[in-house]
Amino acid sequence: MAEEFPAENEPALLHENRRLFLKQSVTLAGLALAPTPFFGPAALNVEEIPGGDAENVKLSISVNGVKKSLSIDPRVTLLDLLRERLALTGTKKGCDFGQCGACTVHVDGQRVLSCLSLAVMQQDKKVVTIEGLGKLDQLHPLQEAFIKHDGFQCGYCTPGQLMSAACCIREGKAGSEAEIQEYMSGNLCRCGAYPNIVNAILEVKNSGQKV
Amino acid sequence: MRPFQYIRPKNVKEAVDMVSLEENARFIAGGTNLVDLMKRNIETPDKLVDITHLPLKKIEYHSGTLRIGALALNSDVAEHAIVNSRFPLLAKAIDAGASGQLRNMATVGGNLLQRTRCAYFYDTAFPCNKRQLETGCAAVGGINRMHAIFGLEKNDLEKSCIAVHPSDMCVALAALDAIIITFGPKGERKIPIQDFHRLPGNRPDLDSILEKGELILAVELKSNTFQQHTHYLKIRDRAAYAFAIVSAAVALDVQQDQIRAARVALGGVAHKPWRLFDVEKALAGKPISQNTFRNAAAVSVADAKTFEHNAFKIKLLPNVILEALMNAAGLEPSYD
Amino acid sequence: MINPKNIHASEPDASLDRVDGPVKVTGTAKYSAEYQFGQLTYAVLVTSSIAKGKIKSINASKAEKAPGVLTIIHHLNSPGIPGYPVVKQPAERAPLGTAFRVFYDELIYFNGQPVAMVVAETFEQAVHAASLVQVVYEVEEHQTDFEANISKAEMAPSVRRSKNSPFQDYDRGTTDAWKNAEVKISATYTIPTQHHQPLEPHAIIAVWEAADKLTVYDKNQGVKSAQGNLAQTFKLPRENVKVISKFIGGAFGSGIRVWPHTVAAVLAAKKLNRPVKLVLGRELMFTSVGYRPYTVQKIEMGATKAGMLIAITHEGIGQTSQYEEHLERTILASRAMYACPNVSTRYRLLSLDVNTPTWMRGPGDATGMFALESAVDEMAFALNMDPLEMRLKNHADSDPERNLPWSAKSLKACYLLGAEKFGWKNRALAPRSMKSNGWLVGYGMASSLYGFHRHPSKAKAIMLADGSVVVQSATMDIGPGTGTAMSRIAAKVLGVNPRKVRFEMGDSSLPDAPGQNGSSTIPSVGSAVHVVCESLRNKLVTLAEGMPGTSPSYANILKYHNLSQLEATEESKSGPERDQYSMYSFGCHFVEVHVKPLTGEVHVKKVVTCADVGKIINEKTARSQSIGGVVGGIGMALMEASVMDHRYGRYITSDLASYHIPVHADIPQIEVHYIDKPDMLVNPIGSKGLGEIAIVGVAAAVANAVFHATGKRVRELPITLEKLI
Repeated sequence: MAEEFPAENEPALLHENRRLFLKQSVTLAGLALAPTPFFGPAALNVEEIPGGDAENVKLSISVNGVKKSLSIDPRVTLLDLLRERLALTGTKKGCDFGQCGACTVHVDGQRVLSCLSLAVMQQDKKVVTIEGLGKLDQLHPLQEAFIKHDGFQCGYCTPGQLMSAACCIREGKAGSEAEIQEYMSGNLCRCGAYPNIVNAILEVKNSGQKV
Repeated sequence: MRPFQYIRPKNVKEAVDMVSLEENARFIAGGTNLVDLMKRNIETPDKLVDITHLPLKKIEYHSGTLRIGALALNSDVAEHAIVNSRFPLLAKAIDAGASGQLRNMATVGGNLLQRTRCAYFYDTAFPCNKRQLETGCAAVGGINRMHAIFGLEKNDLEKSCIAVHPSDMCVALAALDAIIITFGPKGERKIPIQDFHRLPGNRPDLDSILEKGELILAVELKSNTFQQHTHYLKIRDRAAYAFAIVSAAVALDVQQDQIRAARVALGGVAHKPWRLFDVEKALAGKPISQNTFRNAAAVSVADAKTFEHNAFKIKLLPNVILEALMNAAGLEPSYD
Repeated sequence: MINPKNIHASEPDASLDRVDGPVKVTGTAKYSAEYQFGQLTYAVLVTSSIAKGKIKSINASKAEKAPGVLTIIHHLNSPGIPGYPVVKQPAERAPLGTAFRVFYDELIYFNGQPVAMVVAETFEQAVHAASLVQVVYEVEEHQTDFEANISKAEMAPSVRRSKNSPFQDYDRGTTDAWKNAEVKISATYTIPTQHHQPLEPHAIIAVWEAADKLTVYDKNQGVKSAQGNLAQTFKLPRENVKVISKFIGGAFGSGIRVWPHTVAAVLAAKKLNRPVKLVLGRELMFTSVGYRPYTVQKIEMGATKAGMLIAITHEGIGQTSQYEEHLERTILASRAMYACPNVSTRYRLLSLDVNTPTWMRGPGDATGMFALESAVDEMAFALNMDPLEMRLKNHADSDPERNLPWSAKSLKACYLLGAEKFGWKNRALAPRSMKSNGWLVGYGMASSLYGFHRHPSKAKAIMLADGSVVVQSATMDIGPGTGTAMSRIAAKVLGVNPRKVRFEMGDSSLPDAPGQNGSSTIPSVGSAVHVVCESLRNKLVTLAEGMPGTSPSYANILKYHNLSQLEATEESKSGPERDQYSMYSFGCHFVEVHVKPLTGEVHVKKVVTCADVGKIINEKTARSQSIGGVVGGIGMALMEASVMDHRYGRYITSDLASYHIPVHADIPQIEVHYIDKPDMLVNPIGSKGLGEIAIVGVAAAVANAVFHATGKRVRELPITLEKLI
């Protein structure tokens, strides 16, 4: 069951731009709920990222255990933040519309699609990408199993399959071949590695290893 | 995507004020449909009001009523113990929709408000009344295999829309007589799900009766006698992760092999989740049998109107309802 | 003389894990759009919303003023592409046979044609600015509807000009002999337009290193052909163009050509003198990189009551654009597949206001064998004969088209092995007679074939001081595991552990090799790797002569001669054997489907696929390739269709939610078997191509299984449920 968020303690307005904030306040004047500006706990050392016509917004986010303080165009998706700003290109852009699963990452431990997640909405969230799942010299059990079962060909859907697979097991939806097939169906693979992927996941699940 | 201002309101009241008083502001929660639409320039808000941190996530069960907060995630609802024991139809319908990742993002409120998946709506190169009033409906004379067969009789099709509501969850909510609780500039109100979604008429741009700035707070379900015999059957072009061609949510209250009451709702057939009250009537008081189900299912398409590519739904639909009812009743179908 | 086998441990017997597995599973493999550059800019294409006409005006003023915008290029302001001819005034429609020229003139040839490109500092800025570019068109009446225009189909001009074209009308024996046969069938089969849709969208980063020196990081299937094409297009010396395509996220044919968007990105990078990244949006993947063409085929077939084929006529009409021909093997399989005395084929093209198709996995044969192998199944049903028996009876023991012996053919063994593994003997002859748990059960099978392709290929092998080996060739890996197979080949020849071999590819500066297409990589490049490793081994063996001891290691040989490394370069190509033998890969597929009688839903429950491709180099990766082909064939059979609204000449299935490809839940375990008998007449490694025959015939096997389950013959793909209720 979802937990409660203490709403009253939440920052009201994340715009760093004072002028905009004032404009906003004027719009809402008389409502007695003029929002207060938010400068964030980590206003120092903010990494300025090329913005644009949208007012940049501050964002504090943890990516693979590293806390980042950023200033970004609110239009930037979590996927484009990872790939284009943070050089974490392991997360793939397949369709950009939530229809392929290649961009799957973990946010606060849950598998989500980073292409449909606005980066600014990930304030204080913990994001784990494929780069955080395992390393070349210390592969995650699923990564090892994917290699063993040849659960890919071109490799482009693979990071998404792996991130999704880890959660599929954690969610308790990897009890059988049929269950894995159903709960992994949000991850398309055009090379058709499906049976090998399913076998890899089943093996890791049955091994009881921590994922 | 057009530039927009991103705002996080402190509470529900502030959120509602921000959207109701602004010319072009939108709530955003899961974003699974809105971000998609913004990327395609179909939604072009100036302000995005992020409500994800508002205290609307709880799923509670008190004295026979299940209250699901509007921000409860689809996956949380589908996994919830009370939902599974008392409203299994809802869990089944949610699980039939989208993917594990999307269900982890999409909220109950957002699911109620998701827009149609009609291809003409999503591509701005085509005319579409839903996207822009009075530009015409490309689907009427176009490729309409996925389109509506119900709720069209009064429409002037030139100005209307033949798209279908794409939700699975809402089909179950329709079958279970859900109540939608909202808070808007005029305060709180309770809307039966039957009244919540609109038929397109001459305002296909409006999917629901929500007013500007009105926020869904929760969905309520009253305990019922249907939990023993339910089924959600979704027919689609592949085995998973596809929108319904048609879907059926059925629930039976069975006592000693007699149907005391039945609920049948459909997806993929109308601008809103579609209840089949006539089929329900035809089932009530009858013994459970393939014959009963077949006769009742035959009533389902009496009012249907079809287009060039979706006439098959007339043939498919009674079969889908029959199959769903057989499943709900735990009967082995016999064919041929 | 030292036996090279004694030099080092021989190869392990077990299959090799994919050599690039670790970088792929950790997300560290770099695909085209993933190289990092300072000053990188982002390009987004603006594409036409009409299918035919002229651009009347382009208003980019709002877009130009949008923040971050660096340039907007269109035909009115294009700096021009050196390789294009001078634009005619007024513009003239390009004749059939003209590759599409980007931002060239005001003419619109298809819906989704690039008409402008916005480049900005960020992706978000470029996307937004692109939406602000206003294009006004003068609309002309278009024709995109294949069925409505089918009477306009004609023999392709290039075929008319070339008497030796395989697409000339072909008649063996008596024309129309089928009409006099004891048993005859006639049927028309349709496949809709289908798209490759690799998971990685096509992407390029274009970098001008100097005014006359270009590097592109591009998704394609042939760095060498891309290099040549770009050199020609931009009038550069070939060696001044470098194409890098180290990792390709699937392609299936979509990357064989250099497409307009690649040229556009290079043009913009030139204009800005900054690196430009262009990634096609998924919707543009439907109009920018080709597709399997809409094709209608008519097959007429006659047989004796005993099931001997008397005659086949096979007519195929394929779709192409108004500016280019696209020919594929659609009708060719019918000439070679069965021992049949009378065979006629006709092949025609229909030009429509669409973009040009291209080769998609099993090009032509996947299409043609859907028709032929469905027709054989129909004939078997008409004869009341087991479809496998029918095929065995009409097995071609030599190539009936060329009157040549096969270099090798174990198709009969494939049939028998596949049938045994599948349990074909449990198949009831009558359709709609098998049931399981409320589902109708159907067994279907089909044959597969694909011509052998081997292109001249070079490879270089370098023995390093530590005894490890680097092998280089400008070949590619779009997914099948080229590096793994080549490592295995090199290791075997050199007698080293494959882990000690590093194979380098995907870079146009490496030794010349063909692109990855037509199942030719292992036959061609594998042969070059084999030959060059033999050459290197011979050099090493020569050096080892006279050395103390009987079995020095490679490292010791180099050390003894004070060499830091030793290298060899060789080329390998076909010889006269091509004229002495007919060379094909063969295979067959057995499929079990379950069909819900009430709803028409089809689930594939079991597949056994069996292939005869000569020597299997690395079974593990080969298996994956076979499985992938079957999955592609299931998609082709059951769900893939690019649907166009012909009033607009525009696709309505332009995303992955409406263009359905199979998901996990659609695909059962797939059993793969190989005959694994080297065909030493084709090349020194005895290995033929696998990529295409993996998919060829699968759609027919599924359709035949559906017929067996339901008694309904679906001749128009995909087999969606409304066709079965």
